[in-house]
Order: sequence, then C-alpha cells, then structure tokens
Amino acid sequence: MKRRKLLSMLGISPALLIGSQAAADGGRGGDAKTPDAGSPPKFTALSPKGTPPPVMRYAMAPPLNTINGKTIYLVDTGFFGADLLLEQVASWYQRNMPSVKTVLRKKAGTYPTDDPKLWAEIKANANATIMAIGH
Amino acid sequence: MGVPAVPIITEAYLDLAKSVAAERGMPTLRIVYTPHPIWGKTPEQLRQVVEGPDPVTGKALMKEFSDALTAPLSPEDQKSGVQPVSLGPDVFGPNTADGHQKYFMDNGMTDYLPIIIPTEEKVEAMLKGTSHHPDEQVGRTGGGASGAWHYTVKQVAVNAVMAGCEPEFFPVVLAIASTGSLALGGSTTSFCYSMIINGPIRDKLNMNYGIGALGPFAQPNATIGRAWTLMGKNLGPGAIPGQTYWGSQGNNLNYNNIVIAEDEKGSPWTPFHVQKGFKPEENVVSLFNGWDLRQGHGAKGAGEAVPKFDAQIGSMFPTMTRMFNCLVILDPLTAKLLKDQGYDTKQKLQNWLWQNTTITAKEYRESFLAHVWLYPRALAGEEPYATWWKAPDDAQIPCWPKADNLDLVVAGGQTNAMFQIGNMNYSGSVSIDKWM
Repeated sequence: MKRRKLLSMLGISPALLIGSQAAADGGRGGDAKTPDAGSPPKFTALSPKGTPPPVMRYAMAPPLNTINGKTIYLVDTGFFGADLLLEQVASWYQRNMPSVKTVLRKKAGTYPTDDPKLWAEIKANANATIMAIGH
Repeated sequence: MGVPAVPIITEAYLDLAKSVAAERGMPTLRIVYTPHPIWGKTPEQLRQVVEGPDPVTGKALMKEFSDALTAPLSPEDQKSGVQPVSLGPDVFGPNTADGHQKYFMDNGMTDYLPIIIPTEEKVEAMLKGTSHHPDEQVGRTGGGASGAWHYTVKQVAVNAVMAGCEPEFFPVVLAIASTGSLALGGSTTSFCYSMIINGPIRDKLNMNYGIGALGPFAQPNATIGRAWTLMGKNLGPGAIPGQTYWGSQGNNLNYNNIVIAEDEKGSPWTPFHVQKGFKPEENVVSLFNGWDLRQGHGAKGAGEAVPKFDAQIGSMFPTMTRMFNCLVILDPLTAKLLKDQGYDTKQKLQNWLWQNTTITAKEYRESFLAHVWLYPRALAGEEPYATWWKAPDDAQIPCWPKADNLDLVVAGGQTNAMFQIGNMNYSGSVSIDKWM
C-alpha cells in the first residue's frame, strides 16, 4: 500500500500499480524453469488485468492576475455539506474581499450527472470557479 | 473551458482526488482541502473551517484558493496530448506456486484468499468453455472517475481461472463481464452485488437452488460469484482502498456476492427471466447492486395461527434506504404459502406490498442520502419525486416509486418458510447463451 500511496502522491495512475517484470520474476535470472534438485517447480502465470484507456492530458487554464474584482462561481456538486460550506466561502469574500463577486450554483441532477448548461454559463460569465465536493 | 477552477475536497479524499485528477489528464490540478467531514456541521463550525487552515498544507484555506487561481503555470501544468498507460507485464514469472500466490496477493489482484494460479494451460482450458475468440472485446467499464477500461475474453478467462471456475461455467462469467458492471464499486457506503441465474444451465452446472442455496455449498455458485469480485479487482481501475474503493466499513458479501439460482420448478410463479422478456428455455443472468441482505419469517411468534408473510416482508421496507429498490428472495415454501394467501402471481404480491408498506413524507425527505439522490430529481420535476418532496410531513407515501421496483425470486430448500430481503437495484438481464 505504501508503494501505491507514493505513486498516487506523484499523480501516477493506479493503472501502473502492477509490479515490474523483474519484481514478478522474483529477481530470478537465467533459466528459471529448471528447478534445482529438491526445489519446487517454477512456471509462468498470466496477468488478470484489463486494459485502461489512454490518458488525454489537458493544459491547465491560464491563471488570473488577481481575484480582486473578479466573478467566482461557487459550485455545489450535490454531496452533503457542500452547499453550506460554499455559503461560508461566499460570506468570507463579502467580509474580507468585497470586490470579489460570488455566484452560488447547484449542479443539476445527482452527483455523477453532467451539467453542460452550467459549464456554458460558467464559461460565459465566470473568471474562476470553486467546486465543492462535500462529504 | 479555459476558466481556472479549484476543487475543494475533504482531506479524507486526498489520494482519490490526486489519482482521479491524474487519470483525467490533470496530474498537477490544484486542490484545496478541508478537515473531514464537513457535513453535519453548523454554519458557525463551517465558518471556522473556512477561516482555518487547509489541513494538508497548513496554510490559510482562503489564501490557498487565491494562490491556486493566480499562481503562474509551470511547464508541467501546460503539457497536453495523449499519454499511453502501461499495465506492466502480461506474464509473471517464472516463479514457484507460493511465489505466485504472494505476488498476486501483494499486488492487490486477489480477494486475499488463495487463488488458482492462472497458467497458460489453465487459461487455455478455460477458453474452451466458449466459442468466442480469446482476443474479442467482451465489455467496457462504465467510465466514471477512472475512464472506461476494456477487456477481452482471455482477460476474463484469467480471472475465472483464479476464482476456481470450471470451463463450463465460463459463459456465465462472460455474460456478467459483458455488462460492464464489475463488482466492488467504490462508494463510501460499501455496496454489495447479486445475480439471479435462470434457465437450464442451472441444472447443467449443478447449481444449488435447494438447501443452503445462498451458502457455500456448490462450486458454480461459489466460484462464479467470486469471479465477479476478482473481475472488479482486475478488469477495471481496481478496488484499491483509498484510491478507487471507499467503502467505509466494507461489505462481507463482496467475497463472492449473492449468487441466486432460481428454483424454477419449486416456484409457483413465473421465473424471473421470463418476467424480463426472455423465453423459459433461455439461459440468463440478471444483476443487482445495493447494500445488504436480511432475513425474515412470516410467523410473528408462538401461537400465531396463520403466518402473515406479506405483512412481515413489508415490515422491513421502511427501514431500508430509499437510494435502492428491493429484491425479495423467497424460499419455495414461503412462495407456496403466499400463493395460498391469494398471491398467485408475483405481480399481485408486488402490488400489495407496494400499496401497503408506506412511510411518511417527512421520513422520506429525511432518509439517508435523500438530499443527494432524491432531491435533485424532485428539483428537476421528475415524478413522483417532485410531488413526494412537497407532500405534507404526515402524508403516507409508498417506500418506492412503483410496484415494479420490487423484484421477487424463489430459492431455498423448503426446510423452513424463510425469506431474505436485499436493499438492491435491478440493473439488467443478459443472455448467457450468447457466450457459449
């Protein structure tokens, strides 16, 4: 698990979690199929893994120079607690950075459902987005 | 979209957030964290969360937002394009039997019980259980956070060997795999899975639908169910705790799922697959997902003259989550007693249960995950969710939207008039014959 966590922290897909051929070989070299006298026989086994999709990498959106005077959409994905948390985020901006305009929006549908209308609205009206997942 | 965005997630999901971002092509996504959990907190407590630090970095949470939205992009942030993903070797070893067992286990490819080691010879033998080409693509996972994985007949065969299946079981395993619904979903609420198998194949494979039908008493019941779990581990993004699996307590039913071969001869009713539009002679597997299984009996206690099976089955419904529907597994003895009560079809019993087991609208709205699963559908105007969400607190409403949300199946040894209820959703039925 430590290895998995390390890979994850590095942003590497769990698809890479299967060991290397060297590890699968147990570090044995040469004709490993020929057992020594009295040693258990050795043989190969097939991987049970499916095939992952290729990763399409996206460049991050250009950052803002400042958030002062900008419009930030606060999007609730529907998981519990996200809406109330975002209300507090909006309140913080009102108290501490009143030039920031916040717009609270609840994503339509249950949490796995896409909401292209909201994405279009954000693209048209927002300078930035904060999306709360909740839980 | 070209608009800078920052997700805010509780710290419990740090690994998940990073791995999903990487799989979705954004390994350098800037993420802000809160303490876990945030639900159930008062506005004042949430104000303190917002004014406090990000628990991962220790820096002020609101400053983290500003930094994430304004910091210049690094060269790594600006990379784009298709990146292939390698899974490592297709073949492991040579190694000893013990060495293979350890390697498969240490790399999360098993259920932590010993496996049949999938040698080339055993996989070749398994492939003789189907007429389909080893390289034919069987299915794809549903996508979700990790994207859609795909898998071939041979990759499914490797998992079937590991589970202890015989080649003649293989078409059932392939039919399950063809749905793309692999067991071991990642929900924090620890899902379980169930299948109903109908048709002559039940007897051909010597499946158990008699005494101990749901227990560890027959190889096909045990290993076909186990294969489903191993496929969930291996053919998709895997059930890696903390990354792609988040069941808070886990689910013991995941070891081999709930495999039900319906007792079509012992049942007084239409077989399940015929209800779903298949012919009696067809071999079909039907899949479910949900939470749990609980047992019941019609007699309320000593001295009960006539067991009230219908009422007893229904009495369990209000305690179930509204997120899932209901699968009722009736011993043939119970089913016959219900028929004697006047339920000569499954539909009659479904209708009675649906109409006579209710909860209040307040209980409905306050039920677990109603805010996540039911409220958005009510907001969208979908019925009956919209009407039920607006109903007075004390209004009585059915436990599920329609009678068809209750599925009934018959299996058991008739040594006692038992029934079991699963809080589960029916997800579909597929042909096994197609994979022979």
